[in-house]
Amino acid sequence: MGSRQRLFWCSDPYDLPASDGRFVRAAADNCAFHIRRCPEYAAIARRLGFSPDQLKTVEDLAKIPPIPTLFFKRHAVFSMPDRWPVAMRVTSSGTSGKFSQINFDWGCVLAEVPMILRLGWRHRLISPVPANCVVLGYKPDKHNRTGVTRTMFGLTFFSPPLRRTYALHYKNGTYVPDLDRVIRDLEGYASSPFPTRIIGFPSYLWFGLKRMEELGIRLKLRPGSRILLAGGWKQHYAQEVEKPRLYALVRTVLGVEEDHIHEFFGAVEHPIFFNACPRHRFHIPAYSRVVIRDVETLEPLPMGKAGLVNLISPLIKATPVTSVITDDLGYLEPGEACGCGIPSPTLTILGRVGLSDITTCAAGAAQLLGKGEGL
Amino acid sequence: MILAHGTVLPDADLPALLDSLEDELNATRANLTLEAETVVSAIDTLGRRLDSGALDHLIAQFAAPNMLDSLAQIRPALCREALEDKLKTELGPEALSPRPRPFGRARYLPLGILFHVTAGNVAGLPAFSAVEGLLTGNINLLKLPREDKGLTLAILSQLTDQEPRLAPFLYAFDVPSSDTATLKRLAALADGLVVWGGDEAVRACRGLAPPGCKLMEWAHRLSFAYVAGYEDREAELTALARHIVRTGGLLCSSCQVIYLDTEDWDRAQAFCRDFLPILEGAAREGRSPGQAAEATLYSYETLLEQAVDRRDFDDRFFPGRGCSITLRRDQELELSHLHGNVLVKCLPRRALLPVLRRQKGRLQTAGLLCARWDREALSAILARAGVTRITRAGHMSHTFPGEGHDGEYPLRRYVRVVDTED
Repeated sequence: MGSRQRLFWCSDPYDLPASDGRFVRAAADNCAFHIRRCPEYAAIARRLGFSPDQLKTVEDLAKIPPIPTLFFKRHAVFSMPDRWPVAMRVTSSGTSGKFSQINFDWGCVLAEVPMILRLGWRHRLISPVPANCVVLGYKPDKHNRTGVTRTMFGLTFFSPPLRRTYALHYKNGTYVPDLDRVIRDLEGYASSPFPTRIIGFPSYLWFGLKRMEELGIRLKLRPGSRILLAGGWKQHYAQEVEKPRLYALVRTVLGVEEDHIHEFFGAVEHPIFFNACPRHRFHIPAYSRVVIRDVETLEPLPMGKAGLVNLISPLIKATPVTSVITDDLGYLEPGEACGCGIPSPTLTILGRVGLSDITTCAAGAAQLLGKGEGL
Repeated sequence: MILAHGTVLPDADLPALLDSLEDELNATRANLTLEAETVVSAIDTLGRRLDSGALDHLIAQFAAPNMLDSLAQIRPALCREALEDKLKTELGPEALSPRPRPFGRARYLPLGILFHVTAGNVAGLPAFSAVEGLLTGNINLLKLPREDKGLTLAILSQLTDQEPRLAPFLYAFDVPSSDTATLKRLAALADGLVVWGGDEAVRACRGLAPPGCKLMEWAHRLSFAYVAGYEDREAELTALARHIVRTGGLLCSSCQVIYLDTEDWDRAQAFCRDFLPILEGAAREGRSPGQAAEATLYSYETLLEQAVDRRDFDDRFFPGRGCSITLRRDQELELSHLHGNVLVKCLPRRALLPVLRRQKGRLQTAGLLCARWDREALSAILARAGVTRITRAGHMSHTFPGEGHDGEYPLRRYVRVVDTED
């Protein structure tokens, strides 16, 4: 068994100290692989003076060249040549029209299995009772390879799915929302003998619930119904609502209690299954390490200080995403401070850096940024 | 959403509207004339309502927080004097009255129907394009950009509420670029297709416009600074640094490359070393931690891109805090790394013309830094090379009343001359 599979198959999901050794070994092997196979990654490692043998302890993980997600939006870089069979080619959802392409190798998919099962079990997501599924996201379509579509579709399998309703349908080359249809279906599901699972973007849940409230609809979904929230607020940042207001609305409109609402965090460039604990905090699982970096110098910051969020995992071999710096600002806190019983540190996201939707009219910039203007 | 007859309609009404559109447009063309005065007075009123704060709720609802700043910049253009001046400058005195000719008379008439395919990089651009079409009396069909979250529809319906005579001359469609069937139907109705955007948008529009439909392209451009000396070194370099940081390189008029009037690589390195702290100073000015993080990410990204994309080049990279300077050996005008990460190249003045000519059709602004006595000669060389705006260092992205647009007066493109024999 390779070091990566050992990390993913043998680690308790939230015992970080016990997995430190396995993590560092897997990370060193992963970096060595990318340096060997990916000339772009090798050039970056050379420029930053990094070599995998510098990785001895978890503190050394910050030395792995952190690559901004922007880099993957501007460059398609791979560590497995095109002719190799990769398991999946996935793109980020491209909030502002730009997207990254990340390839997933078969070993990565194999390593994801124990991670998802262990965490799904730990967070009581897995149930043998069939459920009606409402996906407040994209209906999978051959035109859509976004990671979030894949994630949401995958999340419908934690219990046997009876049927699926989607909020976004592909029509005439674009996705159009149909919340009214979702609301009609939900009303039907409320009288079904089976529980309902709502999976989706928090923003769509919020808009859907507001609409139902306006229409005076109050439902009592079956006991055991759950709400799984994946993906960010995306283009609806400006209308972000406080989580407690959302939970209260869920209780009044759908009759689902707060402890049946699950939130996830992840990125195409870092597809680790982050689950919110009962207190709605994201504890770092054993398959990931998080470094917070200074907004001016990019130096690692101590626990509690806010900065750029750098996510590290040796999960993927097909694309050099071992260490990625996201566009998010956040901070870490000791796990004990949460009080939910999970010992690993928590990651709190404060919001996006000033990377407002990039729009430009300088010649060639649109192409560089991976974005078609106008048409 | 759709705007037609001064009303905002749901997308579901599109097929019915398209079926009746040709008849509607023909009826408007046959029976109605839109006087420039009607448009001028409607916009003048809108400008005054903007000042009174009556439109603040709309701006808050639909536009980005910095919209009020951008509006303040274009506000001077939204008044009677400026619009009348624009008409006079661009169309000449003939615009307003037919001119006698030996055979009879000649006059300007609207081209007819303009189909505007607009871009989303500047808020308010679609409305601006429509206003130019209205000023020349045209019927305007707008394809809204994806980024438009309702601002354009809000502005246009304010205009038609205020002046119902504009309503038959304004249609806006929130059609995605991928819906080529609808776009082709709209293009088939038009006498002229006005396209704003990058190469990709322009290429797509060339495919949309049937023969006989005049194509008017406002494509993306490249701009640069040319340093051949100074009147006040400190002030001019500071102004240039602020321009680079504030526009982030994202505008057609943003400086991508700083050209130095020298061949001496050592002098160029010395310039970069001197300019870096000035650029860092501009990057530090009044920014939040979020903006600092953004600038840091972009300059770090530039470092990585230099390491990856320029492995085989002999560049000199000067990393700064939240910005950077890259000195390159070649002379080409090209896109910088953007966001405060600028390029520097050597380009002695005798090589200006041949080098810049290679970017013909893409040149826009040159920010000229030079001694007072040298300005006229250098301006002449830059103009001959194809540049369409020559400004001072810090004014590259300023708009000047009465200036052309990419070397042309747009209104002239939107009218036709009709000669009538007595």
